[in-house]
Amino acid sequence: MNPIIKEDHLHLWLAKIKIICLKMFGRRASQLLRELASCEPGQLTAYNTDTFEQVIKECNEHNLQLQSLIRKIEDANLDIQTTRNEDHFGAVIHHLSLARNKRGLMSYMYNRAEIIQSLRWTIGPVLPLEIQEKLNYSEEEYYKNHSTAIEAYMSQLDLDLTVDMVPPKDPYIRVKVLDDIGEVCLGEHTISLTPQSLHFIKRVDAEPFILQGLMEEFLE
Amino acid sequence: MLSYYDIDDILLGEEPISVVFQIGANGVGLLDPGSETNNVEKSAKVDLPFWLAHELFLRQAVSINVPSCYSLKTRKEIQADAACVDLRFRSPYFYELGCKLLPLVADKSIGPFLRYTFTSRYKEILCKSHSITGATPKFSSKLTKEESLLLEAARSSMVAFKKWRVGGSRLEKASILGRKRKPTMPTQPSGP
Repeated sequence: MNPIIKEDHLHLWLAKIKIICLKMFGRRASQLLRELASCEPGQLTAYNTDTFEQVIKECNEHNLQLQSLIRKIEDANLDIQTTRNEDHFGAVIHHLSLARNKRGLMSYMYNRAEIIQSLRWTIGPVLPLEIQEKLNYSEEEYYKNHSTAIEAYMSQLDLDLTVDMVPPKDPYIRVKVLDDIGEVCLGEHTISLTPQSLHFIKRVDAEPFILQGLMEEFLE
Repeated sequence: MLSYYDIDDILLGEEPISVVFQIGANGVGLLDPGSETNNVEKSAKVDLPFWLAHELFLRQAVSINVPSCYSLKTRKEIQADAACVDLRFRSPYFYELGCKLLPLVADKSIGPFLRYTFTSRYKEILCKSHSITGATPKFSSKLTKEESLLLEAARSSMVAFKKWRVGGSRLEKASILGRKRKPTMPTQPSGP
């Protein structure tokens, strides 16, 4: 047998398998979650609009099929509550698939929202561009609203809750500047934070810069 | 622990289970690749994801066959040397799936078998986790999801312990902003 033809067959066969795999009920929604699970904890992947919409489309199809099977049972003058025929189990499978897809989509949004919330505590009120690009429009809104709510609460308390997440040993800290930050007003005086310079400043002031990767704690 | 939004619990539901339909179902021909109509016939043997198989079993529409990852062959391999068996290949949710299947199948020996497997592999994982340095070791590709979490927990607490002993910076850049620090200045060619 010609090996090239054999290889072609193999490709076709693999493509076919792939289609069958994706076509199994609920498979697409699980792909979304697999994507989420495959990255390290606390990291975000780009929002997958395409797959998300395809799952919604799948849901609509399940709904149509479900309706038509129920109509079929009703047309045959059977009691919808007690009938256990082939149409009933077809409808049950479509209904279960619908619920399954919904669970997948909800879990996708929920788990992303959890990560997005945590960003407010680690990065601050403004997200860097490379993270913003990964968010969906509604997620950006969510982040802004969440951020506003936390800020309102903190100003009510008159306390910055996002600093001192690690219990401090000393109110002051030695830091090395990594990026050009420029003139910054800390307390009463302004200091110039140029790259590679060392400073002895208040820990509370340094913490946001360290979290953003602009400074590091200087240790001998 | 388990909730509606739990990703692992949802992904565990994707594991394929071989079932036999006790009654036909119309309009779902897609489930049976061998079917020529849009229906699944009675006594058709089909692979369904666990979430669907489970629900249909509760409605007495299908009967469930024990998946091959709990077969006699696997059991013999585990008995020979539990730590060497590639469980991830068999099912990344080997233990969780087994626990969920137990009430649904007649073979009750799966329970003790899972327990034996876990306890004999547990020791090995903990011992190895203390000696890991740097890259992920080869044997971790054989672990199930739960075992990898265990390994990671053991490893990270070892790292935390060492860090605590040595001391060092406790404030770090937010992990989402990237692991490696971009060099702020172009690296100088090393002088003479």
